[in-house]
Amino acid sequence: MPRPEFAPEQRRDFMKTIAKQTLGVSFAGSVASQGLFGEAQAAPIVGKAKHIIYLFMDGAMTHLDTFDPKVGVEEAGETKPIQTRVPGIQFGDRFPKLSYLAGAIAVVRSLSTETGAHDKGKYLMRTSYKQLNSIQHPAMGAWMVSEAGRLNKELPGNYVIGGSNRHPGAGFLPPSLSPVPIANASAGLQNTNLPKYLTPEFFNRRLSLASKFDQNFQSRRSNSRIEAYNQLYGEARRLIGSEHLKVFNIKEEPKPIQDAYGSNQLGQACLLARRLVESGARFIEVNYGGWDMHQDLYTKLDERAANVDNAVGNLLRDLHSKGLLDETLVVLTTEFGRKPKMNVNGGRDHHPGAFSSLLMGAGIKGGQVYGESDKQGFSVAKDHVSVSEFNKTIAAAAGLPLEEERYAPNGRPFKIGGDGDPIKALLA
Amino acid sequence: MTFLRVKLSTLFGCLIVFGFFAVLSVPAHAQARKGKKPPAKPKSKLPESVRKRAPVAMKVAPVSTSSRPAVQRAAGELDSLVELKLLDEDQEPNELASDEIFLRRVYLDVAGRIPTLKEATQFLASSSETRREDLIDKLLGSPDYVSNMYNFWADVLRLVERPQANIVADPYLGYVKDSIRINKKYHQWVYEMLTADGKTWENPAVGFQLRDDGMPLPYVDNTVRILLGTQIGCAQCHDHPFDQWTQYQFYELAAYTNGIRTRIQRGSPGYTKQNPANLLINEARTKHDKGRVPGEFQRIARANTYSVSEVKNAVMRLPHDYAYEDAKPKEVVKPAVLWGKVPTKARNGSPREQFAAWVTSDDNPQFSKTIVNRLWKRFMGVGLVEPIDDFRDEHPCMNEPLLEFLSKQMVRNNYDLKEFIRTILYSRTYQRESADYEATSGEPYYFPGPALRRMTAEQVWDSLLTLAVHNPWPFQRPTAAEMAPVLNLDFGTATYSSVKSKSEQFAKTYFMNPYKRSLNQHAYQGNVLCRASELPSPVPADHFLRQFGQGDRETINGGQQDATVPQILAMFNGPITHVMTEFGSALYDNLVALDNTGDRRDAVFLSVLGRKPTAADRRAAASEFSRTETDGKALGNIAWGLLNTREFLFIQ
Repeated sequence: MPRPEFAPEQRRDFMKTIAKQTLGVSFAGSVASQGLFGEAQAAPIVGKAKHIIYLFMDGAMTHLDTFDPKVGVEEAGETKPIQTRVPGIQFGDRFPKLSYLAGAIAVVRSLSTETGAHDKGKYLMRTSYKQLNSIQHPAMGAWMVSEAGRLNKELPGNYVIGGSNRHPGAGFLPPSLSPVPIANASAGLQNTNLPKYLTPEFFNRRLSLASKFDQNFQSRRSNSRIEAYNQLYGEARRLIGSEHLKVFNIKEEPKPIQDAYGSNQLGQACLLARRLVESGARFIEVNYGGWDMHQDLYTKLDERAANVDNAVGNLLRDLHSKGLLDETLVVLTTEFGRKPKMNVNGGRDHHPGAFSSLLMGAGIKGGQVYGESDKQGFSVAKDHVSVSEFNKTIAAAAGLPLEEERYAPNGRPFKIGGDGDPIKALLA
Repeated sequence: MTFLRVKLSTLFGCLIVFGFFAVLSVPAHAQARKGKKPPAKPKSKLPESVRKRAPVAMKVAPVSTSSRPAVQRAAGELDSLVELKLLDEDQEPNELASDEIFLRRVYLDVAGRIPTLKEATQFLASSSETRREDLIDKLLGSPDYVSNMYNFWADVLRLVERPQANIVADPYLGYVKDSIRINKKYHQWVYEMLTADGKTWENPAVGFQLRDDGMPLPYVDNTVRILLGTQIGCAQCHDHPFDQWTQYQFYELAAYTNGIRTRIQRGSPGYTKQNPANLLINEARTKHDKGRVPGEFQRIARANTYSVSEVKNAVMRLPHDYAYEDAKPKEVVKPAVLWGKVPTKARNGSPREQFAAWVTSDDNPQFSKTIVNRLWKRFMGVGLVEPIDDFRDEHPCMNEPLLEFLSKQMVRNNYDLKEFIRTILYSRTYQRESADYEATSGEPYYFPGPALRRMTAEQVWDSLLTLAVHNPWPFQRPTAAEMAPVLNLDFGTATYSSVKSKSEQFAKTYFMNPYKRSLNQHAYQGNVLCRASELPSPVPADHFLRQFGQGDRETINGGQQDATVPQILAMFNGPITHVMTEFGSALYDNLVALDNTGDRRDAVFLSVLGRKPTAADRRAAASEFSRTETDGKALGNIAWGLLNTREFLFIQ
């Protein structure tokens, strides 16, 4: 696919126009007067990301049918490329809304890993390290809270909305940094209200009774699993009665906003993520499953893709209208790609050889595609990005230390995002 | 009448005592009726079905009394191998655990729940020399054992009612449970699952092959991982530099199962040119407004198209992108096993039968070692090899002679899982005090005793039910025999109207949504109060079980025991911790039956933690009694406090 080259000034003009025309349109009056993106800005005042919304397409999102569409080869399947608002960049035809916002999006098309096993792939994406027996590595959210601290003292800084099975969590960092799982965004955080008969005073008395009864057990044991519970009991205690709890109630949002995000799991999760950002959360992972499309891919894809297109598009606009996109990085990623050649069941099997992800918002230079896969989407053809380099780029956008080593309790050194270097071209 | 009055006043005393929401309504209620007749018996908010103790309709294979000496000998051998290793490593075994610790542990490990007040009291009062063995044997023959082991297998086998929208796998889930109930020999059970033919309700063992329907290569990967503790998944796509398996070997193995078909084949009754389910549904479209065919009609028609069989002469080819020099892309691959050979007696079988015979062969050490290691971990907290399903050189066994012995023992006992579990439970090693072991320490664990564990999600749930209700089994999951008459269609004779009447029956019984709704008769504040093993799976992501780490049943061994904030909020404020303080709950009734405060206090400790209060506990309790207006209210606070100890959540 020929891709026109642009001089930097030309590109900057495109960005400016697109930014004005797109992100602002549905929220009249709220368009920030200055540019949205690093390059549209005269001075480089784009701050590093204070928050990250990390959208994980669980099950391995097909790259060929989303953000790396192909033409003229049978591997393209039923997906047709559509032109985005950035000349030369095309997305799959199920993403009209994101195509419109392409000026804010950096697409990485040259990721690859070595593993085609879901668990291992997810672990690697989330931690930048291979899954081992002898250690559990922290996921990015725990690193971020650990390094950058909380913005809101009363609320945890790290969340995972949707499924959280086998999440590496805080790894070897203190358990209080592990993500608070929110199973269902519409229901929010449950059981936060004391029963009516129970006054806070009584509640405290019960807690102190519990710790008295527990003393004997605790004094005989020395175990990180127990310590994890001890820390989280404190965390849960602080939440009881907190006025900040209302952040979890997305029903507080005006109906049009709720509807705009889409009444599906991803849409509601994105809305909750935005509310959490507003109240100071550092890292919100949204887990969105259903991508393991070994069969009848095209019957399953329509709904997934439409929900992504709508929810992510809306999230970007909403964050922008509230002035939060300058300080919030939005990542959309997955554990690996899918086989270019369709299988006999009309699906695509696992394929770690090439896959795509998106970076948007704070710290990121949007309106670009970085890296290429080959004609069939089988292998990386240009500017390979390793998982570590991808995560390092995220860490760099968030201003986390990249080179400093951090030590696990067993004395082994680790770096946030692993040993790769950030991709400079992706950073604003 | 006098009797009634006395009884009621006791109850009210207790209600106020308990100090939960039920309490507040009572004085007002009582006052309103003052001076008229005695207040009506307070109404329980618990569903009727769980309020009366009822025997579980389940006949469970008992352990053999006569084999006890043999099991004791094997347990002794196990112990000496463990102790030899400890000696080698200059470590000491732990002390034997107290009866209190043993009691709670063995109930959780075998029955999947804490003991009831009565069970705890009885065991702790016993002075019989054989009380531990007797209890182990009793529990191994109980329905609780079946429920507990079902949860174990559900996590391994990823048991869900609908692996795909149109596959009705409920009978398979019932079959797994039943295989545990009758203690089917493990190698037979596995062989059955790997070679079964038919529809799920005709031959429910087919469910195993249907779990990864449409994914023949992941099926091989998962099967080898579950049954042989070996991960070959990476080789599906490429040779891995650090792995011993090549892509070619993966395809050779996959060639054995390549003939599996999961749908009815052309030529079967009613299937000439077109899929009979499509024909019926198309016809139905003409009979319904706007062509909207009811879900149950479509579902039953399509479910009947899933029938497992093996076709002859299926050909396996390498992928089109095969990139190594030992063969060409798309070349035909002949079946070959990863190690050893197909047993002679199976050589004339079909490829699938040869594969099953190889997997389950006595000469395949990985088969027995894998199940040994899985069960060892379940009862001891840490596998002899970790991760339990990834045997390889880099993951050394912590005690090789022990694994060898246990694996031979498994074969010698003809894959009798219950007898094997019994051996572990009889051992001193199992009955010792637990140790705090950090898997991430990088240090090997030599089993000075079991490792401290957090309860599994199912153990937490079933334990809370033990406190809450008299009957935690208001229903059981359906079986193939029950479902077959409702579900089965013969496409050779089926007509629109015959399918319609069948589907109406289906909609009233096992069609998923109405089925789930029907379970709400057993619910308390939206939570169906029944053993975890009987609930439709997976439960919703915000269910108590999932909060406590039950897997989504999509990942092999997806369950986890990590702490999270929502768990603690559920313990603080959730309905499941409050249900036991309702009038008519098991705990409530047990306390009401006692008549002095000291006994009640002890009963709360025994009920929740399986032990009597220590001197310090009694002091804390005494101060709570003295500062609280009623003893009952104090008891409520004590019960809540005990539920919110770490001691409750962990198995020592």
